[in-house]
Amino acid sequence: MNDLAAATAAPLTGAATPPKIKVRDVHFYYNGYHALKGIDMDIPEKQVTAIIGPSGCGKSTLLRIFNRIYAIYPKLEAKGSIELDGENILDKDYSMNRLRTKVGMVFQKPVPFPMTIHENVAYGIRHHEKLSRADLEIRVEQALRSAALWDEVKDKLKQSALGLSGGQQQRLCIARGIALRPEVLLLDEPTSALDPIATGRIEQLVEELKHEYTIVIVTHNMQQAARCSDRTAFMYLGELIEFDNTEKIFTKPGKKQTEDYITGRFG
Amino acid sequence: MSVIYVRRHITNIVALALSGVATLIGLIFLVWILWITAENGFSAISGSLFTKITAYADQGGLSNAIAGSLIMDLMALLICAPIGVLAGTYLAEYASSTKLGASIRFLNDILLSAPSIVLGLFVYVIIVLPMSNLTNGAISFSGFAGSVALALIGLPVIVRTTDEMLQLVPGTLREAALSLGIPQWKLTMQVLMRAAFSGILTGILLALARLAGETAPLLFTAFGNNFMTLHPLDKMASMPVTIYQYTNDPNPALHAIAWAGALLITLFVLALSLLTRIMFSRKKVSYE
Repeated sequence: MNDLAAATAAPLTGAATPPKIKVRDVHFYYNGYHALKGIDMDIPEKQVTAIIGPSGCGKSTLLRIFNRIYAIYPKLEAKGSIELDGENILDKDYSMNRLRTKVGMVFQKPVPFPMTIHENVAYGIRHHEKLSRADLEIRVEQALRSAALWDEVKDKLKQSALGLSGGQQQRLCIARGIALRPEVLLLDEPTSALDPIATGRIEQLVEELKHEYTIVIVTHNMQQAARCSDRTAFMYLGELIEFDNTEKIFTKPGKKQTEDYITGRFG
Repeated sequence: MSVIYVRRHITNIVALALSGVATLIGLIFLVWILWITAENGFSAISGSLFTKITAYADQGGLSNAIAGSLIMDLMALLICAPIGVLAGTYLAEYASSTKLGASIRFLNDILLSAPSIVLGLFVYVIIVLPMSNLTNGAISFSGFAGSVALALIGLPVIVRTTDEMLQLVPGTLREAALSLGIPQWKLTMQVLMRAAFSGILTGILLALARLAGETAPLLFTAFGNNFMTLHPLDKMASMPVTIYQYTNDPNPALHAIAWAGALLITLFVLALSLLTRIMFSRKKVSYE
């Protein structure tokens, strides 16, 4: 039945730009529990795609398949295909190392490494590339500038990153991610642990970063999705209900469930 | 005031009083022990305690026992710290949710509560006797054998604390590093170990404090020696064994020296505890 549906119905996209990530009939199982039930979606390149939905709808689960971070835990299984630039990342032969340099991830809680601010950014670069000291310094500075953090930390690069505020730590985590020059940036509720001012800065940053990166953001906060995304996907009980231009989702949603959710009738 | 409020209030007062009294009883004995040790110990401390060997008996000191204890404690730590930290790391990072991991943890807990005399006998059988047979009795009891016995005391402490401290590191830190393409071994050695560093060090120092006071594992392994020796294959004197022997002696002058020794061990352990506290509070990496 699912196969038939996937074959006949065109994947939900709503995007004019070519898709960066093609999700086809993706199912996900937590120790046998069916958490994602056949997701098809095309994520457009260099745009911000927001995924919204009530707790437990599978939005974080979906995001965590995009860089296969779920694979570090036993008994989790993803089926279907997710093509990144035409190659299936769920394929066993797809190099994890390559995937993780192409797809960066920022988590709900800021988790800087227990190192200096400089080391936090340089650590990942050093693992993947052999750069001269001068080139490394340039890369670190670029990453911190892109994450709108440079001016605040340029005089204390040798201090521990754990001394930064929560908002600064989260921007440091974004800098750490983009320092590897990924193509896709996954943000898993990146502002849920931050105050409104820090949240505003991150949203502004997302706006700037989308010119260079394909961004997928999972959020609990509907205003946030409305403010900073181009496309919005609404998920419910492990299924993708609707995926369209953000404006359309929030003004004239096509499905009853979407409307109920965005108007606060459930969730 | 309702009846239920009064009843809860009375229950509260009774519970508070009972736990307060229990705490007080515990504290009284602790202070008492420390007081008696200090009172008897300080009056017996003299310069010759640190310069003369036990061969002079009541005219002597404890220098060979102090040296022997320091050597054996340090060797024991050199044996059990690397093994303990690596084993704890394996448990926390590679076997945390496996049956093997659960079994190892269970066995480690048994080792943690094993009677120390049993560990002494074990080392007697696996090291002292074979060495003696191999060398026709030239080497039998030795400081090395004593160290191995002490290491068995310290090992489970270090395994447990390392395991627990690594498990306290939030899982998101692992995910963050892995999502940058950092391999597991690098993540463990360079990120997690750093995050748990002060906790792991605390465990090592606690193990040292624990094994420094042990007598039973040394009785059939290091045996004792009335003369100064720094050679790990000689019979070796130690503070706890010397204190044990002196307190069994009818000579009151030897009792005084034993008290001084007891005080020295107490101060050593106290200093270690303070050091661990300072380290743990200062260098702790916090992710709330």
